[in-house]
Amino acid sequence: MTQDTDIALIEFKGTTLPVLAITLRSLEPKELASAGNTLFGEGAFFDDDLAVLDLSQIITWPEHVEWPLIIQLLTSHGLKVLGITRVNSSLTESAAAAGLPSLALSAGRSAKPAAAPKKPVVADSALDKIPASLRKTTPPITESAATEPDEAEPDEAMLDSPGSLVIDRPLRSGQQVYARGGDLVILAAVNPGAEVIADGNIHVYAPLRGRALAGARGNAQARILTTVFAAELVSIAGIYRTFEDSVPAKLANQPVQVRLAQEPVVSLSTGQKSRLEIDILRVD
Amino acid sequence: MTRIVVVTSGKGGVGKTTTSASFASGLAMRGFKTAVIDFDVGLRNLDLIMGCERRVVYDLVNVISGEATLNQALIKDKHCENLFVLPASQTRDKDALTEEGVEKVLKDLEHMGFEYVICDSPAGIERGAVMALTFADEAIIVTNPEVSSVRDSDRILGILQAKSKRAQAGGEPVKEHLLVTRYSPKRVEDGEMLSYKDAQEILRVPIIGVIPESESVLHASNQGTPAIHIEQSEVAEAYKDVIARFLGEDAPLRFVSYEKPGLFKRLFGG
Repeated sequence: MTQDTDIALIEFKGTTLPVLAITLRSLEPKELASAGNTLFGEGAFFDDDLAVLDLSQIITWPEHVEWPLIIQLLTSHGLKVLGITRVNSSLTESAAAAGLPSLALSAGRSAKPAAAPKKPVVADSALDKIPASLRKTTPPITESAATEPDEAEPDEAMLDSPGSLVIDRPLRSGQQVYARGGDLVILAAVNPGAEVIADGNIHVYAPLRGRALAGARGNAQARILTTVFAAELVSIAGIYRTFEDSVPAKLANQPVQVRLAQEPVVSLSTGQKSRLEIDILRVD
Repeated sequence: MTRIVVVTSGKGGVGKTTTSASFASGLAMRGFKTAVIDFDVGLRNLDLIMGCERRVVYDLVNVISGEATLNQALIKDKHCENLFVLPASQTRDKDALTEEGVEKVLKDLEHMGFEYVICDSPAGIERGAVMALTFADEAIIVTNPEVSSVRDSDRILGILQAKSKRAQAGGEPVKEHLLVTRYSPKRVEDGEMLSYKDAQEILRVPIIGVIPESESVLHASNQGTPAIHIEQSEVAEAYKDVIARFLGEDAPLRFVSYEKPGLFKRLFGG
């Protein structure tokens, strides 16, 4: 029988606790006391529940706050106050001194309405599935970078990080690689369900069967090049095309170049119309 | 040094457990001391296919939670001297599998002198499947010659490359082998199935064998005998070839081409 010698005495795990967010609109202990009594009556209404004080809607900020009285008041109703949140005030110091640290709550779903509206593949914590060897050089992708290219600052990233990336093993269903601020060169197959993204160009010297998004932050000059074209989706600077049934017969499994054509077609809204140009790649 | 081999696929019903049983038996027949572990906590199948379901007293989860020793839980195979089965629990939750627990079981098996440990993965990409592949040195990816199976195998290969200890340590990666099972050369010829070459083209993993579709697998399962023990059957021969290739021997692929029945066979039946 072997003996258990290596049981960890301290173990770390992430967790989330239910915490009440209590929005206060006043910091005057007397006003709060009477409001509390009308709501909860005398005595402990709560059952030692954890709470943070949301101070984003304070109507008038007092010069000085009697934090201990407020804590005592809430404790008498059975709340354990952990700290304050959403506060931009000089009172944070006095609150901290009274044992109420300033806590940053996650902004919650409602605060980011437009984040990640259409990325079911990515949402599946795709980064977990990228091999550790790749992850070192692969910065985490933000949803917005892939779906909504930021037109305002297309080239900034290219200056501060030459983020080109060379991948020489097959990319598999569910895997995702992002070359932030540079080109992505892939020397092995990109399989169906895999996603390759670059702020610059994407080169695939093998079958491209998954999804490829070049110019992810709005570089309209980016191109996608592959020796064997069989993609599920191609996108340049947010202009995308899917191949639901299969790619057109004349392009299927051919060396192909994808780029954005600026057509002289006048559109009412932008004055210009963009279109993906997908051609057989000819090298002279 | 113990080699840990995971048999996995992503998709269910492709022949993982059949392969685990025959592969482990094949290694034991070659004289290697081998253990085969069922990671399908909550369902368990391996003990049925190995024909030892009536001898299960303790299981993997009992060992992990310290309710039984490894020696108590290991069941000696009835066909092979060197083969032991560690069954899964039918009554426990799959969360009972902890990484530390699994690691300790594998370490203890190494101390007991096992040369190969075969981990029979459950289907899917949930905890049991991840636990089965976490400590693997080599992986046998079982695929049927059809698109959804190949796609799921691709997915599990990605997970293998991300979640296995070898991948996380950044050293030598898990050695991958592709095994195409339930292969019917006639249906490939008729265009109803992918060929093993198509599957390999997509997965880009070296092929370790092609196991033909055969009724003898079903008979073997029902009898509780691993298919590799069915004498004279194509399946048993194919699995023996797999063992040979796994051990580095040269064995050409058999049972992969369809020969139209000749006049003689058509006249007198096959």
